Amino acid sequence: MKRILLALIVSAWSLLATADSELQVENAWVREAPPSAHMMAAYMTLKNPGSSDTVLTQVDSPAFDHVMLHKSEVVDGVARMIHQDDILIPAQGSVELKPGSFHLMMPTPEKRLVEGDRVDFILTFSNGETIRLQADIRKKP
Amino acid sequence: MLLAAVLLAACGRPEPPQLSQGTLLPSAKPVTDFQLTDHHGQPFSLENLKDNWTFTFFGYTHCPDVCPTSMTMLGQVQRKLEQQEGLDKLPQMVFVSVDPERDTTELLSQFVPYFHPDFIGASGDEQNTLKLTRQLGILYGKAEGSAADNYLVDHSAAIILLDPDGAFRAIFGIPHDPELIANDFLAIKNYYEATQ
Repeated sequence: MKRILLALIVSAWSLLATADSELQVENAWVREAPPSAHMMAAYMTLKNPGSSDTVLTQVDSPAFDHVMLHKSEVVDGVARMIHQDDILIPAQGSVELKPGSFHLMMPTPEKRLVEGDRVDFILTFSNGETIRLQADIRKKP
Repeated sequence: MLLAAVLLAACGRPEPPQLSQGTLLPSAKPVTDFQLTDHHGQPFSLENLKDNWTFTFFGYTHCPDVCPTSMTMLGQVQRKLEQQEGLDKLPQMVFVSVDPERDTTELLSQFVPYFHPDFIGASGDEQNTLKLTRQLGILYGKAEGSAADNYLVDHSAAIILLDPDGAFRAIFGIPHDPELIANDFLAIKNYYEATQ
């Protein structure tokens, strides 16, 4: 009986822990690129309702050869892109990947992606969690 | 209206406009000649600035974030101005490459008109690109740590407005708002015409 109770407590705790750390991804989209473009960018909002910080460490996609984490910054009027090894999503906070800031950068695939197409991404976080999501190709600033 | 006319007559010259997004230079700075090639393979020089208002943005086609954002924004400015009643001539929008090594005429011909069919892409050798950028306070250079064949380019994010005399008239730093830039352009143009 004691063992069953313990097992119940443990599983209830792990359920709570899962709910607590569940990351959310919203509004994922990829900007449609001009025909000759070599690179594309993807954007999304990463939400971390959990009580500990988490880190986006890797992004993969079957639609692209590879996916890089980047951040655009304008310092003294000069725009530069800086490679990011990872992106921190603070506990009970969020990070917006948006134009002019954090974004994913991918080389354009052979077959051009246009508005209406959808691509898959697999996000891997430092806690081992992975999230698979679909992003729309959109024509917008 | 009458008061404005009296004031104008009394002061001689209208006051410079208060801009929402741009900065008007205290006095326009004439640009000396430069030789670039447009995306049709035709020469693009100081001559092409004359008798046109020109917005210029400096970027490169391998740039996936800042450049498409600014170019899309300029497309929105142009479409707003197209709807403006009484505007006799639209400004020309020119994308000048800061990566002439990779931005061939062919690449530019597919990249630039994507944002608006009337947009112009221009590139030139290092010397002529610098000839223009130095006059407009535009900085650019390969990012540190870049590989020889796969590199990023740091570049000024500002949009420059040149007047029909081919002179540097105003600068728009980021963030860019198409509505505000379109309105500022009309105010600058009116001021320019009133002071000629």
